[in-house]
Amino acid sequence: MVKFIQEQLKNSGFNISIDEATLLAQARAGNMESVERLILKYQDRVYNTVLKLCGNRDDAAELTQDSFVKVIQNLKNFKGQSSFYTWLFRIAVNATLNFCKKNSRINFQPLQSEPDQELKKQLKDYLVDKTSPQPPQVAAAKELHELILKALEKLEPQQRAVIVLRDIEQMNYNEIAETLKIEIGTVKSRIARGRRNLREILEGVI
Amino acid sequence: MKDMEQIEEMLNYYIDGELDERKSNEVKRLIDNDKEIYGLYDSLKRHKNIMDAVPHEPAPQGLCDNITAQLEREILLADTGIYSHSAGRRHLMIRRLMTAAAVLALAAVLSTVVFDIFVPKSSRDQILSNTFRKKPIKQVLYEKPFAEPPVEDKKIVAVKPIDIPFVAILTLKTNNPIEVDWLVAKALTTTNLFSRTTAIDRQAKNVRYAINCDNQSLANLVQELSFVWPQCTETKIDIGTEQMGKYITVSNISAEQAMEICKAEDFGQRMRIAADLGIINKFTSPDMLDRLYAAKSIDYDSLISQKPIITSTEKIQSASLPADDNTKNATLTIIVMSE
Repeated sequence: MVKFIQEQLKNSGFNISIDEATLLAQARAGNMESVERLILKYQDRVYNTVLKLCGNRDDAAELTQDSFVKVIQNLKNFKGQSSFYTWLFRIAVNATLNFCKKNSRINFQPLQSEPDQELKKQLKDYLVDKTSPQPPQVAAAKELHELILKALEKLEPQQRAVIVLRDIEQMNYNEIAETLKIEIGTVKSRIARGRRNLREILEGVI
Repeated sequence: MKDMEQIEEMLNYYIDGELDERKSNEVKRLIDNDKEIYGLYDSLKRHKNIMDAVPHEPAPQGLCDNITAQLEREILLADTGIYSHSAGRRHLMIRRLMTAAAVLALAAVLSTVVFDIFVPKSSRDQILSNTFRKKPIKQVLYEKPFAEPPVEDKKIVAVKPIDIPFVAILTLKTNNPIEVDWLVAKALTTTNLFSRTTAIDRQAKNVRYAINCDNQSLANLVQELSFVWPQCTETKIDIGTEQMGKYITVSNISAEQAMEICKAEDFGQRMRIAADLGIINKFTSPDMLDRLYAAKSIDYDSLISQKPIITSTEKIQSASLPADDNTKNATLTIIVMSE
């Protein structure tokens, strides 16, 4: 059953028409099928965000799992004042930030291989020299992913959180403020500072 | 420097589409007119593009299954919000109770087995009786549907042994076989035993009747046959014993003696009477009497007595047959023989 729903959701690219309010009501009533649908709907996005925050796949999987369990166990306390989406992400991000705080030395997975010189050159051309109009080859490279993770690792956790929610999860400023329970002005300043720091980090690497 | 930071923030809002139309137009004009601001904007935009190009990594396979499995474990371990509704709570409670019951049952079985193996039966009974302060209950194989009445002092009553059927052969020798035969047939008819006569075998010199009836009918028949005796020159009755084919013979039997044997209460009494009469009749046979009287020169006629009969109180009482004697089988064979 779970696999069937998983396939359906994957095939439909999450555009499957599922009334979230109905799903939530059913899940709150103990319907495990609805619970599974909610998990399948958000698991990839939550996992991806948590992975970018903590930098380790195993930790990300565990944190995502714990976050979902916590969310579902507390469904009856969910009043609907914020959207389920931001509530879920708040729990996941807070859990990840707490985890990172406890494990001050974040176990970012080591790079499988250092980005080769060609990739570095392309990235430098694109970011510093600005000779390349588009970054197709650079973006397509798997090493870039690792490079971004490495750069994110060096950001402060609070800045990392807003950058990931904005640039990876594509949340708007209001959603970020709602998710992190901070003022929108704080979101703006953190985004600006975070991007500046990230840019400096990336330029330092290449 | 402070201005550049503010401009950078503004450019970020612009890139992220967070500005309203008026401010957006102002920033756009600023970018178009200022090369330094354009450079900053271009740099921010390129970094933004790089970040956007970072691929999304899907959740590992089986994450959903792991989550549901962990949820089930958590539900079993603690009362959770999602299962706080009545159905879920009842389901959880039933599962807990069933688990507890299964564990208790298993523990009980194991304890019993261990107790049974390691403690001998005598010690076990002693321990149990000491523990519960009562005698071990006897195993009841069946339960009586009604309460038993209070036990009274019952008198010991002798149980009658199963009686052995009466088997006898009455031999009547006569000079007038036709008349005797007729009288026997008449006696059978009178006592309604003709239909119970299983065989009538008529030979040249004898007729044989085989009768199966109850003891009372037999007694009636013998009583009716008393008319036959005066016609007979010699009478004899053979009473069957426990051993097949062995008989106690009472020769020169009179009608009264035959009657007495037939009315005997049981097999033992019948055997005793037959044996006694057999001895008595043997010593009081006509030949012996003739010899005795001749030797003593005694008045023959005055000494001729009736055949003796046993007339004790016991016998009189026992003459009345019990009701259940009617169910006994008696087999009498009457042989009428011509001299």
